[in-house]
Amino acid sequence: MVVAELAQYVATGLLVGGVYALMSIGLALIFGVMRVVNFAQGDFMMLGMYLTYFYALAGVDPLLGALLTIPPFFVLGWIVHRGLLARVTGGGDPQRQMDAQLILTLGLSLVITNATTMILTPTPRGIRTAYATQAFTVGPILLNEARSYAFAMALVLAAALWLFLTRTDAGRALRAAADDPEAASYQGIDVRAMHGLAFGAGIALVAAAGGLLATYYPIEPSVAVNFIVLMFVAVVLGGLGSIPGAFVGGLVIGLVQSLTLLALPFQLQNTGVFIVFLLVLYLRPQGLFGRRARTV
Amino acid sequence: MLSITGLGVTYGGLHALTGVTLEVGAGEFVTLVGPNGAGKTTLLKAISGTVAASEGRVAYQGRDVARLRASERAALGIAHVPEGRRVFPTLTVRENLELGSYRRAARRRRTESLATVLELFPILRERERQLAGSLSGGEQQMLALGRGLMAQPELLLLDEPSQGLGPRIVEQIFETIDRIRRERRLTILLVEQRVVEALELCDRGYVLETGRVVLDGGREGSTFTSSASRIREASRCGRACWRASHRPCRDCSARSSGGWPIASGAR
Repeated sequence: MVVAELAQYVATGLLVGGVYALMSIGLALIFGVMRVVNFAQGDFMMLGMYLTYFYALAGVDPLLGALLTIPPFFVLGWIVHRGLLARVTGGGDPQRQMDAQLILTLGLSLVITNATTMILTPTPRGIRTAYATQAFTVGPILLNEARSYAFAMALVLAAALWLFLTRTDAGRALRAAADDPEAASYQGIDVRAMHGLAFGAGIALVAAAGGLLATYYPIEPSVAVNFIVLMFVAVVLGGLGSIPGAFVGGLVIGLVQSLTLLALPFQLQNTGVFIVFLLVLYLRPQGLFGRRARTV
Repeated sequence: MLSITGLGVTYGGLHALTGVTLEVGAGEFVTLVGPNGAGKTTLLKAISGTVAASEGRVAYQGRDVARLRASERAALGIAHVPEGRRVFPTLTVRENLELGSYRRAARRRRTESLATVLELFPILRERERQLAGSLSGGEQQMLALGRGLMAQPELLLLDEPSQGLGPRIVEQIFETIDRIRRERRLTILLVEQRVVEALELCDRGYVLETGRVVLDGGREGSTFTSSASRIREASRCGRACWRASHRPCRDCSARSSGGWPIASGAR
């Protein structure tokens, strides 16, 4: 009986962790390629939730809606990169650039949160689907349908990103630009375009993760703060900039959050996450997948 | 092929290069020597576009490339094999090589180029699936050179290919460069600290000191021999030798006594 209960917590944790993993690889992609710490990542996720919500109002199933956030958010990310970030990356004093990037993405986060609150009001909204309250039964374990679908889609999107990065010329060029931008430009790789691609893809992935999250999580303008910290923990846990690392980091966080409930009340769910985080930092400061050399 | 006139580069008010004029004809092998900090690497970067020129003109195939970004210049067929090798450490050897042929003109001939490069450096075939960061220094240099060749370049810029490598590897690298050049009639601009070897391989040489060209060892037709020795003198490295750098050995002095190889009729 105890085993069944434990299995239930593990399963629930992994399902949620899959969506965390998808959010986190977006952040890891941006950091790995551009060395930009994007504080606005959670806000793009929130916008992805809203877009999925509006799609749902128009009658589009949220699982499809989550996928449909990808093209517009890729374009949005690309524009934000070209219009704002490109001005503070590439050339110049690295320390000043880092400062400028932090202030820029933090500012962007504030602007997005507040503009959304102003326009869409702080009232939480939700998407109602038939499958949000249904569950698959696997032996003694119940798997929430919405979370199961979200988990499966997150895996598919993560796998698609992985195939892109390892099997296509553009993906390899992206990894090369992350490894050594100067050497990449000597191969004819347009590093600025690669940054635009990384930022666009990173934003699109987190928006899609937001869309999947929206199938079972309330949508409000301030939702970003609940997740941005988890994303950062996942990315650091996995080894800064490592995409497989961030993926595993996301799964671990879902798992730890869920298992924490065995010992602590729901409100203290993230306590376990931070304990594990501190332990990893203490025992393996480069992260689970971290190497001395940075990776994507 | 490459024609540089009055090139100047400044780093925050400091003149790294001043009024550099240099010419590399199609099919020519030109060496650029000079002491540390003379601006050799800066000159190569100004050609390939990762350092901006503050004055002067860089013309490649008769076209002013000053306004083009580094990636656009690479697309035109300038391959820069940078100082310190700069392979992509988290990519495999194979991926590194394939990215060498990223430019459109080279992509179509990727399979063919790959076969040539792997034939040139068999060790890379053995290491194909390894991460480039796990290779030894010599292997990384071969990879960097191979990656440059994958671009099917018109102009190959080589920055200190012998740096930090053991004598046997250096010999192998120089032999390969010589072979590539003879087989492909490739245009090469080589920056080297190992003056004797570099001068023996090339057609002409320039000496750069504190950002200026102080000697141009070509252009005078029959006076090649004297130019070569003057270059050696001027670079104050005349007895540098790849077997024991900056210390003369028998083999090396025997080689260098031969003088300027081009003078004896190779051209």
